[in-house]
Amino acid sequence: MNFEAIIEKYTVSILDHRIKTLIAILLLVLVATAGARFLEAPSGYRGFVESGQPNYQDILNLEEKYGMIDTLSFVIKPNNGDIFQKDVIQLIHELTEVSWQTPFSSRVSSLTNFQYTTVDGDDINISDFISDTDLMDENSLQELKSLALQERTIVNFILSESARVSFVNISLDVPEDTGFEDPIEFANEQKAYFNSKYPDVFVTVAGSAMYSNNFQTTARSDATSMYPGFLALIIILSYILLRSITASAISLIVIFLSILPSMGMAGWLGFEAQPPLIIAPILILTIALAHAIHILSIALTNMNEGMDKKKSIVESMKINFTPVFLTSFTTAVGVAGVNFGKIPAFSEMANTVVIGSTFSFILSVTILPIIFMLMPIKTDGKSSVVLNALSKLGDLIYKFKLYIITFIGLASLLLINLIPNLYFDDDFDSYFDRVDDWVEVKNIVNDEFGSSFFIFANLSSEETDGITSPEYLKKIDEFARWLETQDEVVTVTTVSDIIKTLNKNMNGGNNEFYSIPDNKPLNAQYLLMYEFSVPYGMDLKNQMTADKSESRLLIRLNMATSKESIEFNERTDEWIRNNLQGYQTDGVVGIPIMMPYVYQENTNGLMRGLLFSFSFIVIVIGITLRSLKLGLISIVPNVVPFILSYGILAIFTNIVTFSHTLSILVSLGLVVDATIHFLSKYKKAESLNLNASDAIQYCFKYVGFPIIVASICLFSGFAFLLQSSFQTNFILGGMCALIILIALIIDLFLLPALLLIFRRKNVV
Amino acid sequence: MYKFLLILFFVISVNTNLLSEDNFEKGLRIAKESYESTRGYIDSESDQLMILVDPKGNEVIREISGKTLENDDPNDGDKSIIFFNKPKDVEGTVMLSHTHVNDDDDQWLYLPALGRVKRISSSNKSGSFMGSEIAFEDFSGNDYRKYEWEFIGEEEYEGETCYKLVSIPKYKNSGYTKRIGFTDKLLRPRMIEYFDRKGELLKTLYFEDYQLYNDKIWNADTFRVVNHQNKNKTIYKWVNRELNVGINKKDFEKSSLLRLAD
Repeated sequence: MNFEAIIEKYTVSILDHRIKTLIAILLLVLVATAGARFLEAPSGYRGFVESGQPNYQDILNLEEKYGMIDTLSFVIKPNNGDIFQKDVIQLIHELTEVSWQTPFSSRVSSLTNFQYTTVDGDDINISDFISDTDLMDENSLQELKSLALQERTIVNFILSESARVSFVNISLDVPEDTGFEDPIEFANEQKAYFNSKYPDVFVTVAGSAMYSNNFQTTARSDATSMYPGFLALIIILSYILLRSITASAISLIVIFLSILPSMGMAGWLGFEAQPPLIIAPILILTIALAHAIHILSIALTNMNEGMDKKKSIVESMKINFTPVFLTSFTTAVGVAGVNFGKIPAFSEMANTVVIGSTFSFILSVTILPIIFMLMPIKTDGKSSVVLNALSKLGDLIYKFKLYIITFIGLASLLLINLIPNLYFDDDFDSYFDRVDDWVEVKNIVNDEFGSSFFIFANLSSEETDGITSPEYLKKIDEFARWLETQDEVVTVTTVSDIIKTLNKNMNGGNNEFYSIPDNKPLNAQYLLMYEFSVPYGMDLKNQMTADKSESRLLIRLNMATSKESIEFNERTDEWIRNNLQGYQTDGVVGIPIMMPYVYQENTNGLMRGLLFSFSFIVIVIGITLRSLKLGLISIVPNVVPFILSYGILAIFTNIVTFSHTLSILVSLGLVVDATIHFLSKYKKAESLNLNASDAIQYCFKYVGFPIIVASICLFSGFAFLLQSSFQTNFILGGMCALIILIALIIDLFLLPALLLIFRRKNVV
Repeated sequence: MYKFLLILFFVISVNTNLLSEDNFEKGLRIAKESYESTRGYIDSESDQLMILVDPKGNEVIREISGKTLENDDPNDGDKSIIFFNKPKDVEGTVMLSHTHVNDDDDQWLYLPALGRVKRISSSNKSGSFMGSEIAFEDFSGNDYRKYEWEFIGEEEYEGETCYKLVSIPKYKNSGYTKRIGFTDKLLRPRMIEYFDRKGELLKTLYFEDYQLYNDKIWNADTFRVVNHQNKNKTIYKWVNRELNVGINKKDFEKSSLLRLAD
């Protein structure tokens, strides 16, 4: 019994046991779908990093010593003038007080509660920088301003150099598996309250917790803004293309029954609802829709040609079973290549699509034929306008095959030339550049402070109480001052600054004593005194370990791209190697240092994934079509669209981010689908001994239409992602839409032309 | 007749008040009795050991010794001197405190490496004591004058029926919004939960190793503090504690600090 006979027997048998099959499949779908409730809320940027990533490990080590690095910050900017106005200071004072109420807050630092030291003989007074706001007049405000601008631990940390913007920083210590929703909700309430109470001052919320939370809010807003519109588009498209309400309804059933259990399985597997996962349903939808359209359109064509309903669907299954299986398989393999990358959020998205692709195959070969039989189908008996047009296209290609190949070949050469201009880079701070509120905050903060991000460096003296030794203090000070000479750094503060300030204050405020004493016990006693003098939440636990063997530098970064950050990190490591022998340090640590490495590793991983997916797919095509020639020809339509789309990209930009790389993997399997459908029909035509022109006509008749339909669906699906407020989804959508569009043109023009040329050479 | 009625009314109302002591009054009464049961020690001397334990179990040890002097003034706090012994770098540092009930304390610090006495004024009562989970204000946490009290019932704690008391700090710079504690029938505080400025449980202080001193005063010789937020622990032990040792009152003056340091 040959394969087609097996498929025929299989289809007839499920149609005979339609109720049993239906129940079994629906049960499977139901069980899988039940997992959806376990879908986890996104953990922000941490979901973008693998747990073993070395830079992430550095962050975790740092957090173990000094508490969580994430912060929420109120940004305060008066509409006119600087911060030193009575009502603005009043606002900061009130906001500081209320910030202690922030859920999971561990400390609050602002201009008002900054621990300021004054000296009067042997009396040392350590107190809030600004406590009594009622008694302030213009003179005292100006005095405060000049004092504040002299404090290196104030400037660029809680007050910009221009004194126009100030921060109230809230350190958070959120338990594991808890998001930032509660602190952010609280901060947003305060933001609204203070903006209405002080209409002349702009108050908003920033900080890494806010950045992290953007992942969640964009995921949610993407889902609510994109899904309904996309669904409507698909309903309309499937009706226009199939021209049968019943057939459209069948497609929709198959689509839903593919998406629901896939998202459910994502839940069972403990995936996080990160923004990339939002793409998964859209991809699954287009895959399932393509399957349904391939099977249904041929069944409908058969019915139009007078076949009975059962025979129509059985015949369609015979033709489509292999390509539908293959396309599901290659899509899955293509997308699975994303697992070679290093970002869990994208791997989870990819794996969800793999699951969805599997479900869509299962449903297309079980439920779809059964529902087709159960539902009343009307056909108008007319062959489609599109089919006639396609038939004309077939003739044209036959005539102009050489021109087509030359034209596309030349265009490719031209665009290939542009590709070397492209280079990899990324800017993780641009992730949410499509979220207006965020961009507003980002611009203010970047203008005034360089960037909203802090990084850290831990320096261990490798001995208990070692941080008070003059050698250590001088080294850490040297390190800090070196860092400040780097373009990527705005300002740095360390324990040496505290010691210097204390030494000055303990010597009557004399500036000559703003230095590190060569006396370890004295430094230790200074610190002891300082620790005794500060109130709740202002201690040094976030700067030094309890045994005083290690302390950390706090560094405010300037804006930097991935490339610059990596260069900065390497430069710092080199400096450390040459200058900090005898001390232990992980170098600079933090999100802006980690993310570029994650991207780099991810891009490298994706490249390997691409190689894997691509070779796998070529081999699979070769084996199934049992033809080396077709296998080799298939490479052309599967590679050219990517070259052309990257060439086109190079016209507009030079920067390739990992999102661009990702788009190749996501669309590879889909681009291949069309080739597989086309080549499998072509092989069938060859086995029917059709001549060259008729073979192409045969292909156009049976797959031209479904390929166009599937490509339109995919194109619109990806184009919809252009609405996403998540930068990566936006780029991914745009690139994939472009690739699919080019692939369609290649499949309709170049592939048949190639087949004709090689056929002539072989046959004639 | 009119006078008689007035007197009768007065007597009844006073009696009813006594009979129906409300929970705030009861809380205050228990707190006051508990505080007063620790008074009369006159002065004391002890060595103290503080062990800081981080979430991974790493330990850091601090050693100090101290003297305290009871203040008879019902409106003021006690005086204390702390000598720092360990870590070695701070050996010889001495701190003199004149505590005040609801105001900032007066503190003088002698730094041997500097060779000078410095007066520190700060609102640091809420601050951490030498990097531990204990704040300055916790050491005098049994002073009823520092809080508003409420008795909220009796509950079993470690097999004993205890008074459950809620106390709200009067000190405006306190690090806490509320404390909930158990005081046993011997009027000894056994455990106190501290709630931070956002009303969340911050830490629990367990009073352990109670010893009866001079046949009349119960002192817990171990404070064990567990911070629920940062998961750090502090164990604070008093050893060689003696009460009523006859320390010269003059030692507790700023002018004696230099002399004491030697």
